Amino acid sequence: MDSNKRLKRSAGGIGGSNTTRWFFVLPAMAIVICLLIYPLLSTLVYSFTNKTMTKTTFKVIGLANYINVLKDPAFFAAFGHSLLWTAGSVLGQVIVGFVGALSLNRIKNKKVQNLFRICAIIPWAFPAIATAMVWKWMLNGIYGFIPTALMNLGITGDMPQFLSTSRLAMPTLILINIWFGAPMILVNVFAALQTIPQDQYEAAQIDGATGRQSFVYITAPHIRTVVGLLVVLRTVWVFNNFDMIYMITAGGPAGASSTMPLYIYDTGWTGMMVGKASAASMLLLMFLILLCILYFLVIRRWEKEE
Amino acid sequence: MKRIISMCLSVLLLSACLSACGGKESGSSGPSSQQAVQAGGSEALKGEITFWHCFTQGVRMEAVQAAADSFMKANPEVTVNIETMSWGDFNTKWKAGITTGDLPDMSIAQNTGEVAEMLNAQMLAPIENVVASIGASRFSENALADMTKDGTTYGVPYYSHAQVMWYRQDLLDAAGLDVPKTWDEFLEAAAALTKDGVYGAGVSMSPNDLLCTRYLNYYVRSGGGSLLNDDLTANLTSDLALDGIRFWVDVYSKCSPAETINYTVNDHATMFYQGITAFDFNSGFMISGVASNREDLLDSISCAPLPVMREGDPYYSAETTHIPLVIWKNSKHPEICEAFIQYLFEDDNYIEFLSAVPVGMLPSLTGISDLDAYKTNETVTRFADEAAVITEAVDNGRAIGFEHGPSVQAGLLTSQGIIENMFQDIVTNGTDVAEAAKTAETRLNEIFSTQAE
Repeated sequence: MDSNKRLKRSAGGIGGSNTTRWFFVLPAMAIVICLLIYPLLSTLVYSFTNKTMTKTTFKVIGLANYINVLKDPAFFAAFGHSLLWTAGSVLGQVIVGFVGALSLNRIKNKKVQNLFRICAIIPWAFPAIATAMVWKWMLNGIYGFIPTALMNLGITGDMPQFLSTSRLAMPTLILINIWFGAPMILVNVFAALQTIPQDQYEAAQIDGATGRQSFVYITAPHIRTVVGLLVVLRTVWVFNNFDMIYMITAGGPAGASSTMPLYIYDTGWTGMMVGKASAASMLLLMFLILLCILYFLVIRRWEKEE
Repeated sequence: MKRIISMCLSVLLLSACLSACGGKESGSSGPSSQQAVQAGGSEALKGEITFWHCFTQGVRMEAVQAAADSFMKANPEVTVNIETMSWGDFNTKWKAGITTGDLPDMSIAQNTGEVAEMLNAQMLAPIENVVASIGASRFSENALADMTKDGTTYGVPYYSHAQVMWYRQDLLDAAGLDVPKTWDEFLEAAAALTKDGVYGAGVSMSPNDLLCTRYLNYYVRSGGGSLLNDDLTANLTSDLALDGIRFWVDVYSKCSPAETINYTVNDHATMFYQGITAFDFNSGFMISGVASNREDLLDSISCAPLPVMREGDPYYSAETTHIPLVIWKNSKHPEICEAFIQYLFEDDNYIEFLSAVPVGMLPSLTGISDLDAYKTNETVTRFADEAAVITEAVDNGRAIGFEHGPSVQAGLLTSQGIIENMFQDIVTNGTDVAEAAKTAETRLNEIFSTQAE
């Protein structure tokens, strides 16, 4: 009994006079408040004001920013580009990563397997600025290696303009992003594949299951939760990706590759209309929360099925 | 005992948090009279200042750092912290700093247009002590006027340059062409030189830069017009502006690599540095650029005044840039900033700085170019004719949009990328010129009304 009391006292029970624990919790709380709650709330507040970048004073203007954003054709163009960019990138990354992981899993030699795994992760070792600059250089329509090679090999009649035509800019960016993001899917799916008990495959083989049946009934159920979570994460990351597009095309030409983050940046930083940019940010946040809820509902259903 | 220790630790932690969260102690809102007296040299300077600049190239950065070091040596109780950043980051950082309070004591600015934006945000302190100390008559009247509001001056030009037409004499000679004097001659020559891997001229359109605005401004100014109306609204739909847009779209389609649609100033200038383009429009920075990329071309490059609309039209200068030094209102030690700026302008320090990019950075003070230490610079001697062309343009020009006087609208004209987006839209989507110009004009006016309220 005494020891229980001592324990309770030293831990500072609820309602007790010992407030020490709050001082220990304070830094963590401060970090959460500063880095998450404050920016979120300030964005929400600014979205109802006429706040500009270079003015310290502002006034509440109700829903005017939201109405302006929803009336802006550039917003919907950017939203459409974001959907295309995200769907194309994530789908491509999952397909390439998944196929790569299955292929890697079939390599029996562990040393070779590890070598390929290390090689696959190389794109992640480079900072985005280096990746963007290298691709921009390789795709340059005047002296880039890829356009020059395509023309010299007779595949194209003249130097293809991958980044300077509206038709090619977004598909090119998506391909670069697939190159960049697929290794992460590969490594994670490969790790999930390693956890599947081999005896299940052996039993299926004895029962006369085909390769397709083994994949559908053994492989897929084991890894679909991992893939689902990766898709959720990649969707949010890719949707919010700014640096890659900004550094390669800056959303051009003529907004052909402008996505939501670039629209928000242009509105808030270049146009200095912080209120309008905040409104667009809140709309983006709501969309992503909705998307995540849908994803998690699907994943939860898979987990229940297991 | 444990409780006491834990309490002590908590207090320590809390105090650490509070001290980390705490900013600088609140300072004065501007130079006080007492501080002004100190700037006069009656008392030893004491304190710490932060100087933001964008001279990221090694030589210029080293010259500023060397000046700061010797200034600190002469004033042992002074610390000058230098933070170097790109021009783009600088613009972003000071604008964010208005809200966060993270601002320097003194800084450069990209041009006088940016000073107008800073003044609009009411963030600058007067710099009249510096002007008085150095002598107002030694600065360009236009430059000081561009940074003066309600009779008070808020910036001094650190160096100056102006836009002129650069060309490759060897290519013109080989094609039997003269240096173009009118826009029509320019287009004709540029189109004729577009062959064998060389392009006549680049028309770069990245919205992250101002090149289309700059080019359109040349054309409009050569016709006696302006990109701003008298009431400081945007003017992209006048006949002259529409002609200008069509002209540069024509130059793009006939003489420019398609890739330049996404090019910024650096990408763009590099083409001339590397001999890819035959013509370009820029300041004396071209010389150092060519020297570091294709030294063999140095003898082949030269410059001339911007083309005119018709043969016989009067001389004009479309764009002069003065790179200003400003003191921020939040500075606790404006007296140190003033003293340091004066130190930067001392002959030896100033000439050493200018010699980092000779002819590229022209002196903003009269008398400097007459000093032997300046004149004997090899590049200054070699490119004396070009320096004369640029100096004439500096003396006769103002910043884009400043023909109506300094205004935040003039600054915004070049910083929004809206005119560049308009060009991209016309070229990429085939949008009608008048329609694209109207859309861009409306967008600019929306931003003008938001920022200039």
